[in-house]
Amino acid sequence: MLTITQHKHDLLIIGAGLSGLRVAIQLAKDFDVAVITKVHPLRSHSVAAQGGINASIGEGDSWESHAFDTVKGADYLADQDVAEILAKEAPRAVIENERWGTAFSRTEDGKIAQRPFGGAAFPRTCYAADRTGHNLLHTTFEQALRCGVKFYNEWFVTSLVKNEGRICGLTALEIASGEIHSFIGKSVIVATGGFGRVYGHSTNAVINTGDGCALAFRIGAPLKDMEFVQFHPTTLYGSSILMSEGARGEGGYLVNSEGLRFMDKYAPEKMELAPRDIVARAIRTEINEGRGIEGEYVHLDLRHLGREKILERLPGIRDISIYFAGVDPIDEPIPIKPGQHYSMGGVHTNKNGATPIAGLYSVGEAACMSVHGANRLGGNSLLETLVFGRIVGEKIGEYLPTAPEPSSECVEDDAFRVREKLQEIMLKESGESPYEIREVMGTTMDSLVGVYRREADLKVALSMIKELKERFKNIFLGHSDKRYNYSLIRILELENMLDLAEVITMGALMRRESRGAHWRLDYPVRDDNNFLKHSLFTKIDDYVKTEFIDVNLGMFEVKERTY
Amino acid sequence: MKLRIARSREGGTITHYDLYKIELRKGMTILDALFQIQDKMDPSLSFRYSCRGAVCGSCSMLINKEPRLACRTQVSEVQGLAMNLKRFPALTDTPPGWNPEDEILIEPLPNMPVEKDLVVDMTRFYRALETMKLWIDPEEGEEAHLQSPSDRKKIERYVNCILCAICYGSCPVNAEQVEYLGPASLTKALRFAEDSRVMNPERYLESANALNGVSLCDLVMNCVKACPKGVAPGGAIRTMKNP
Repeated sequence: MLTITQHKHDLLIIGAGLSGLRVAIQLAKDFDVAVITKVHPLRSHSVAAQGGINASIGEGDSWESHAFDTVKGADYLADQDVAEILAKEAPRAVIENERWGTAFSRTEDGKIAQRPFGGAAFPRTCYAADRTGHNLLHTTFEQALRCGVKFYNEWFVTSLVKNEGRICGLTALEIASGEIHSFIGKSVIVATGGFGRVYGHSTNAVINTGDGCALAFRIGAPLKDMEFVQFHPTTLYGSSILMSEGARGEGGYLVNSEGLRFMDKYAPEKMELAPRDIVARAIRTEINEGRGIEGEYVHLDLRHLGREKILERLPGIRDISIYFAGVDPIDEPIPIKPGQHYSMGGVHTNKNGATPIAGLYSVGEAACMSVHGANRLGGNSLLETLVFGRIVGEKIGEYLPTAPEPSSECVEDDAFRVREKLQEIMLKESGESPYEIREVMGTTMDSLVGVYRREADLKVALSMIKELKERFKNIFLGHSDKRYNYSLIRILELENMLDLAEVITMGALMRRESRGAHWRLDYPVRDDNNFLKHSLFTKIDDYVKTEFIDVNLGMFEVKERTY
Repeated sequence: MKLRIARSREGGTITHYDLYKIELRKGMTILDALFQIQDKMDPSLSFRYSCRGAVCGSCSMLINKEPRLACRTQVSEVQGLAMNLKRFPALTDTPPGWNPEDEILIEPLPNMPVEKDLVVDMTRFYRALETMKLWIDPEEGEEAHLQSPSDRKKIERYVNCILCAICYGSCPVNAEQVEYLGPASLTKALRFAEDSRVMNPERYLESANALNGVSLCDLVMNCVKACPKGVAPGGAIRTMKNP
């Protein structure tokens, strides 16, 4: 084919999780909005969020308290003006989704029920049993259908295109046909979620490969705070499926091989409900010091909660334990260990979601505004998607009428380039196994860029990743078809993840301190003099420029962080 | 362990079955096995996936003639499972050469056109959500509704639906009548109609009572047996048939 099929919309939203959908709903009435997503919207990873969404709607609670907990939880690396917006707008976001139909769990007097969560001064986490993300995503998708949002389902975005410093469109692979199309738009929003699958052990869906972050990075949009990777304390041993923080919020214990609760040693006041970074390190330390069960995991014990509470509040956790570990938490403790869970870092944006490239925005886990700093509190990620989905939508609504009309040819050249690149991959007759490269990347990141880090390990990891990137140049897909070629998709995802793995490791190396989720054994204290800064990574030709930029401090004084 | 997998390069019909020998690992699910095949043996094999934790609803397929989520089905346990579904051709016709003793049979979810291998065209399934307008019509207001725990409990079973389409693929009526809206969308209509916060419940019941709606259901209850989330669509449909 000599031509490339072209599509044109006012704005192109990449990703149909909660962030992307919320932006789309905001703008569908006034603009021509298209959502481009590699899976059907209901299969987005927002669906897997369990424990809840924070909002200070309880009696005696306040947005200030929520903002403070967020900033302290972030080990003071969050931008305080952004944390303020998150906390102030939280009740509105929760109420909006309730009015759209989300079936929140209820108190006896019919109000939205709230449970305690790690690092929070109040029981502030609104929930729908332990299926909060599922409820919110289905509800928000229903509203997107009601608004008539145009969806391109099962399309994989292959590149972003800018022209004279301004975004003008993108190229995408229609998975069903295997054809590359071009899309023209005045604005592009990266809402592709996190990149957990860079790690071998992750709670994330298989699809969480950080595609949008890598695509934005490649056209010169900086990434920020990439070394801050959250390891969730409780992931199911074996499959790494998430076991909600709600399990501890409802009163679950963590128990080592000696049958002892051990959190008193690490967070005597908050115990199991310390923030995730602290609990994850505690579990890792117990295992490293020989108090792991079979040397590999610890127990999450819910038995004392009783059958009724488990069935009512944690039915999803129980199902997962039964089906994936053969354990019924009513009768037995659940084997768990820490695993990658969330990407605090992402595309560098301001509080409006704008990147330094005109017209290019990002929101949700893909973005780094930064609201979570060095460690995100449980219940704040669902919240971020809905609060900032709306706000970024509003800001794009102000931008669009001022944006120049992109030329219809601006994406053409790149579409031909991408098509040729894919054809080359398809036609290759031998080379490197994508599976092997993916496995080595995952084990490298797990073992050398994990909960505990040190310079020697990080240097090894960086050279391993660079070597994998070299090997990737000779990637071999194998005999496959044009239509529904998921092996090809997985190769393109791997290419994206390798770029991100490199930046994560670079960030971990250059941050010679311990803060939040980033713990350096060789620099075990926080160093505000040198590192109360965001790290920034910009791709310039073939190298990555690194720098530190200021954190927006404000109402909360930077203090030592204890729980 | 061996997997015998239905193949269809161009879509439309299953053209043949390929047999793969997998390396069994502890805790391995059918989805893990499919990835092992795609990674190490046959990159041309197509199937949908996402969360691998039984909540996104992507990987519905026919496993040993029963519709299941591949990610929630343990390879080592498949042979001991039985849903006892009412039979229709897609659940009874077996390919020549299949040896149920040491082969697991993997086929696309029935009642939808095959796109490629295990990927089916779900357009009809999704379209019902739009034609039936299965959403809340928001009204002005700034307060959250009150809802008693018991009122919430009335809809809990239904809101647990993940729209995986296993009910649709298990239904003998969907097998014969392409226009039938199917168990999931009808159940979702009741989910809204029974929600104490909804001001216009009739609208949802009317959409479920369309000519291609609840009246076509024969109360076979395959959907109830096959649903991986305990939603029991057949019960919801019975409620709407006999208000």
